[in-house]
Amino acid sequence: MDHESRQVLEMGYGGTERLIMNMGPQHPSSHGVFRAILELEGETVVAVDAVIGYLHRCHEKLAETLTYTQYPSIASKTDYVAAMTSELAYVRAAETIGKIDVPKRAQYLRVMAAELQRVASHCLWLGTWCLDMGGALGGGATVFLYCIREREDVLDLFESLTGARLLYGLHQVGGVRYDIPADWARKCRATVDKIDGRINEFEEMLESNAFFMARTQDVGVASRELAQEVGISGPLLRGSGVNYDIRRAEPYSSYEDFDFKVPVETAGDCFARYRVRMVEFRESIKIVRQALDGLPAGPISSRPGVKSVGQVRIPKGEAYARVEGARGEVGCYLIADGSAKPYRMKWRGASFSNLALLPHIIPGHKIADVVAIMGSVDPVFGEVDR
Amino acid sequence: MWVTLVNFVRKPVTVHYPEVKRVYPDRFRGVLALTYDKETGEENCIGCRLCEYICPPQVIKVEMLKAEKRNFAKVFTLELYACEFCELCVQVCPTDAIIMMKSFDLATSDRRELLLDKDRLHTIGLQFDPSWATGNGLRDMQTPPKAPPAEHAKAEGPAAKAEGKAE
Amino acid sequence: MLTAIYFFTVGFIVLNAIIGMVTYVTLLERKFAARMQSRIGPYRVGPHGLLQPIADALKLMMKEDIVPRLADRPVYNLAPIVFLVPCMLIFATLPFAPGLGVADLNIGILFFLAVSAMEIVGLFMGGWGSNNKYALLSVMRAVNQIISYDLPFVFAAMVPVVLTGSLKLSDIAAAQPDVLHWFIFYPVIGQLAFIAYIVTTLAAENRVPFDILEAESELIAGFRVEYSGMKFALIQLGEYAHVIATSFLGALLFLGAWGGPGAAGHAPLGVLYFLLKAMFIFLLVTWIRWSFVRIRVDQILAISWKLLLPATLVLLMATAVVTAWKGPAVG
Repeated sequence: MDHESRQVLEMGYGGTERLIMNMGPQHPSSHGVFRAILELEGETVVAVDAVIGYLHRCHEKLAETLTYTQYPSIASKTDYVAAMTSELAYVRAAETIGKIDVPKRAQYLRVMAAELQRVASHCLWLGTWCLDMGGALGGGATVFLYCIREREDVLDLFESLTGARLLYGLHQVGGVRYDIPADWARKCRATVDKIDGRINEFEEMLESNAFFMARTQDVGVASRELAQEVGISGPLLRGSGVNYDIRRAEPYSSYEDFDFKVPVETAGDCFARYRVRMVEFRESIKIVRQALDGLPAGPISSRPGVKSVGQVRIPKGEAYARVEGARGEVGCYLIADGSAKPYRMKWRGASFSNLALLPHIIPGHKIADVVAIMGSVDPVFGEVDR
Repeated sequence: MWVTLVNFVRKPVTVHYPEVKRVYPDRFRGVLALTYDKETGEENCIGCRLCEYICPPQVIKVEMLKAEKRNFAKVFTLELYACEFCELCVQVCPTDAIIMMKSFDLATSDRRELLLDKDRLHTIGLQFDPSWATGNGLRDMQTPPKAPPAEHAKAEGPAAKAEGKAE
Repeated sequence: MLTAIYFFTVGFIVLNAIIGMVTYVTLLERKFAARMQSRIGPYRVGPHGLLQPIADALKLMMKEDIVPRLADRPVYNLAPIVFLVPCMLIFATLPFAPGLGVADLNIGILFFLAVSAMEIVGLFMGGWGSNNKYALLSVMRAVNQIISYDLPFVFAAMVPVVLTGSLKLSDIAAAQPDVLHWFIFYPVIGQLAFIAYIVTTLAAENRVPFDILEAESELIAGFRVEYSGMKFALIQLGEYAHVIATSFLGALLFLGAWGGPGAAGHAPLGVLYFLLKAMFIFLLVTWIRWSFVRIRVDQILAISWKLLLPATLVLLMATAVVTAWKGPAVG
């Protein structure tokens, strides 16, 4: 149990016993399978030891045995809440090595899919975070059900687009696999407008609630230096004052065509991360509207549709492609060797790196704060364990 | 708190399944099925095994039966309990033989009933509504057009064809 | 002998009525909460879910009774009973109509408040006997919380008592003859006391936002985590019985008990009004429960000791001053 990275705060008690409690892999608020071994003095957490690996499904080995046509559907299963960002990272890596162009329409469709995915993922985040904080029988469940209701509308949109609700297989090397059906643009605008209104309700319900503010402000403060040192990304980084968004820093897939704001908050506590994500909601909706307005006509892929399993061959080379997922930087490092299967593929999971923040910010807080902090870090264990 | 009160008077979003089913979109990826040719009534499947090779979890097993004019599938098993419903088999099929249906109602109490053989797949094909996606349809939507002679045909062609296919 | 049989029968009837009401109140809460969450509650079992509580009760009775191997058996087994009995006993002092009640004691409200505080012993026995760190942690917090909130609860409940000048519950009810005289409408003091009563009720019976006892997302089910089957049913029964009892008490103290149009002559109508008012308070408590997130235990204790206790103390003293100046409400 000895870790250099664990900070143990001296509480100044004399001779009290420390209780070692396991917030086990099966726990209503561990966001998946996560084991946190907490060392407690009374109610205060003194040390956290995070144990992961309960959801390991050998994605990286699987990528070596599946071809470039088969793997994008499987890539969804790493970050199953925001599935398309993982697929996007994989196909972008393959396209970078093979110098394959992606048509403009496909790029706009990818952007729309990614931003709608971000909206859906943040809906789920808000719901499960409030569920953790408020209890499954209580106000948390109410916010959860509202958020899931909105998420269902977004998933209905995806269902009309691809046919699947959660794990899509939208991307292929060279473009996307599905074009939007006839009525989709109108439905998308209607849904997005409705969600915009509902977000106001959520903000109203939560921010006017003194209990919510008391639970989230000054809890889990990650300073700017700590955030940059530990290697977190995404809303966590932007909540600690670092203005870094991959969509701005290294625009991919036509993001430079869109006008959106990157929210940054300096406080570094759970409330700051919450504010960052709430603004991201609105900015994503803005991007979706711009994409719908400016959707160019054209083919949706630069490569023919998949007709056989070994159709796509990527020449020798290696590339690291990263996308701004809902949780942070999702990266895919691909080494291609000229055949239909990659030689090696490595995922950089956003949540895996984000979890490294926990042993630094949890000690000193009470048990109740552990769930609030974990919820604001928003891990998805498909990404952590792959 | 007034938010909960406002939601109190809103209509619940519950769908009373199974009496009321929601409308499934055209492209819904449900259970798999094998089809017959509409004109001749013959099976569409030629036993080419392309779906078997592309399936990521390798749930399809096919054995080809050679015949005079065209080939058939002698044995076609699909393990639905391990299927990912990714639609890649539909994508690669050259004859639009395997398609997906707009239904997922195949819950059983015994896993072995989900090991679908060829007869069962054909029965499912006749039982439910097929969804939009067929092999040729998907490939037409995805494949970029060959460079056509006129400039305006290139701009209108694929988008119109793609939208037209979706009807 | 005859009085013994009479009291036994009346007590038996009241107890069964309470248990029946408790089970249906769970259904009421579930449907009310569901409507606030854009869904319908139990729907399939019986028409619109009316048989759901019976199904739940049957299920709990048929479940296996598991006792953890290292649990402290006598403590573990007795805890649900020690928790349930005070919750049921407090119904004895509630008069449901003028003259209709099991025991209308002279010290009615004192008995109520004292006995309802005894369930803490049951809670602690449950947490300790379960031999489970989660359970122990949750009851440690719960004991803290209930003890801290019992004082403001008593002070808030004392405001109508001081206004009336008597501890007898039927006197307090009689001091509110018509709507205008309900203590909730007493200028300033009535409203503040009602608000304080609702808040401390939420805390004293571990309802969200003060439900750290069961904190489902942190400690699974708190002290109930090792209980299954009938013992779990007893604990649930006790919890909901306590909620309803405090709702009834609130209706009696602040909303005029059985007063209402036409109740003076007909006792059953009075009982109906009493029930409706108690359900109003219950739904108010439920509405709060399903709208707020939980707060941390140190914040809960801070609210109690730093805010509610001084506030209710000042309120009680103000009430005493007002009563001394204007005279008690009951003639």
